[in-house]
Amino acid sequence: MDRLGARAAAPDGDVVRAVLAGDAERYAELVQRYRDRYARYAARMLGSPDAAEDAVQDAFIRAYDQLAQCRDPDNFAGWFFLILRNRCFAERRRTKREAVADVSQDELPGPGRADRDAERSETQQLLARGVSELTAEQREVFVLKHVEGLSYGEIAERLGTSVPSLKMRMHRAYDRLREQLRDRA
Amino acid sequence: MTDFHPQVKQLLDGELTLADLPAALRPEGVEALRLLAAVDREPVALPSTLDARVLAAVRARAARPSLWRRFLAPREIRVRLRPWTLVPALAAAAALVLFLSSPARTPTASTVTVRFVLFAPDAQQVSLAGTFNQWDPAATPLVRTGSPGVWSATLILPAGQHQYAFVVDGARWVADPGAPAVDDGFGRRNSVLSL
Repeated sequence: MDRLGARAAAPDGDVVRAVLAGDAERYAELVQRYRDRYARYAARMLGSPDAAEDAVQDAFIRAYDQLAQCRDPDNFAGWFFLILRNRCFAERRRTKREAVADVSQDELPGPGRADRDAERSETQQLLARGVSELTAEQREVFVLKHVEGLSYGEIAERLGTSVPSLKMRMHRAYDRLREQLRDRA
Repeated sequence: MTDFHPQVKQLLDGELTLADLPAALRPEGVEALRLLAAVDREPVALPSTLDARVLAAVRARAARPSLWRRFLAPREIRVRLRPWTLVPALAAAAALVLFLSSPARTPTASTVTVRFVLFAPDAQQVSLAGTFNQWDPAATPLVRTGSPGVWSATLILPAGQHQYAFVVDGARWVADPGAPAVDDGFGRRNSVLSL
């Protein structure tokens, strides 16, 4: 999805170098380019679009602060994803001890919450609840593969891990989801 | 027993089709596919006000002297030794950070060799997590030095500001008591290193 029209043609590396050279306004191009691309990942990891919004905003500001450390400006997207990922994991650690989230408000895309709830099938709601109760690592691989549609190879490249370890994580998630859905059905 | 059969997991992974499964496994396969069909893939759109908030923060930072541009200029490498400081939480753990120019490698004008040292006599393993390694506690282990209880790691870091913490025994995140620290926004303190 290209939200920038002709300006979006500028490669990430050119934009990053321009920002580092002092043209801070061009950072807006990167924000517009990637704000929605990773919003769904953050929303599914954190359980709500509001939390995703906070995480994406914070990740962009952190990325700007650390931009000089982006060793491969042409791969800003991959570098930014890791910053957002760390933010999501930190947020999950922070909220881990808090009361169990009200999953009736989980996995919701924003306005029209009540309408959307009504439309969601029972299985969808059970699955959303089950996914929210996976470990952060299991949830991440489930989201990247089955929500974002990435292959194991693509996930492994993005996270710097191996396909077998991802499969092990995912297969445990499958079993856990089945168990949770059966318990609640 | 609620585990999916391994072949059903292959079905979920997209490596097999329902027709590839033995007849006895097909009901389980159907159940598994029903689970995947319930996955919510609806896009999430963030409000456009997010862009403005990010840009406001960026402009505020850009209006201040830029750390990275200030430190990209050639400069003299300073040696600064921080005194060891007791960490009450670690009961006799202390840390120092030593900045030094590397005799083995020639740092460029925009990199600095930094030696991180932690005194943690009871630790079994110590590592360093920070902005320079994507906060990966497994990326930068410290090694025991010749002095009992003293762990160290030497890194070449780009000039600029870095945040970091020591990770003791894979679980305890400890700020460097000899360095300034900031709240990381998630209830922890990160040490700050300005090069």
